[in-house]
Amino acid sequence: MKRSLFVLLPAATLALLASGCATSVNTVSRAQPQANPDFVPDQRLITDSTLARKVGIVSVNQAKVSGDLLKIQVTLQNKSSKAQAFDYKFDWIASDGMELSSPTGGWKQIQLEGKEERAISATATSPRAVDFRLKLREKN
Amino acid sequence: MNKLVLATTTAALALAFTGCATNDAKYVDSQGTGTIVSLNQINIQDWNNAADKLVASLLESNVLERAPSLPAVMAVSRIRNNTQQQVDTDSLTKKIRVALNKTGKVVTTTTLGPDGKAEDAMAADVGAMGSFMAGEKQKTTLPYYTLSGKLLEDRAKSGKTQQTTYTFQLSLTTVKDGLAVWEDETQITKQGQKSSVGW
Repeated sequence: MKRSLFVLLPAATLALLASGCATSVNTVSRAQPQANPDFVPDQRLITDSTLARKVGIVSVNQAKVSGDLLKIQVTLQNKSSKAQAFDYKFDWIASDGMELSSPTGGWKQIQLEGKEERAISATATSPRAVDFRLKLREKN
Repeated sequence: MNKLVLATTTAALALAFTGCATNDAKYVDSQGTGTIVSLNQINIQDWNNAADKLVASLLESNVLERAPSLPAVMAVSRIRNNTQQQVDTDSLTKKIRVALNKTGKVVTTTTLGPDGKAEDAMAADVGAMGSFMAGEKQKTTLPYYTLSGKLLEDRAKSGKTQQTTYTFQLSLTTVKDGLAVWEDETQITKQGQKSSVGW
């Protein structure tokens, strides 16, 4: 009895420490969504399989704002039960394939709670933008 | 022999831990993730993120389309700094101006400013002189919109952990009726015990 207690107690403590008191997010939404998003078929280049296991891309959709500016929204899901932070960056590409500079571009940070689904979005500041590239990386 | 193995292992481990770290000055990407994060200061990435969110909000509001002609003329009014640090609010407004200018929907006048101070005094003077020499009344393009705002700071502390929140508030006002047709604010919160390099 004593021996098994000696084994179980540290194991339980370690498991608690490893989980970091993880809590995930419960979500409620309309059963039949009224929104009609313009989904964008996407292609993905995975160079960090660990990151791909931690965060999933649920959907990519687009809209035009202020008349002619492309807005892209990417819905992410934290696949883990622990809160995690990620860095992301949107690049904009013109119809001639040239990448467009943006004065407010650059890497941004997002923190997702356990199993949380949340959208990140960006609006191109040039009407020349027709394509986008989203880069994701684990926070250092 | 054992000493040699021990010394080599220790050196290798030390190298692995330091990661070839150096204290020498180096260039880092201003829009990258290797910039310094300060607890008591608005960093370049903070200005960048605030400007990005506010520009996106303004564009998504579609109010710029309501101007009688595009590009709409905008003047930058007063941006009040209510933080504890001395900052140049152009760090925020210039990024917003550049981004809006790139959209082709807004141009900013540099010959009108708060308290009658032109940002480009020479352009104002030369314009006035040109009109005088030509015997004409000076034509000044009045702005359709003005951009005003405020920077706020909130500090909190729990034990050794500090938290600073910077709030960036902006309003776009239609000059003809003085109504704020777009307003938004964005907050950036930093928490920790000391500043760090990289996010």
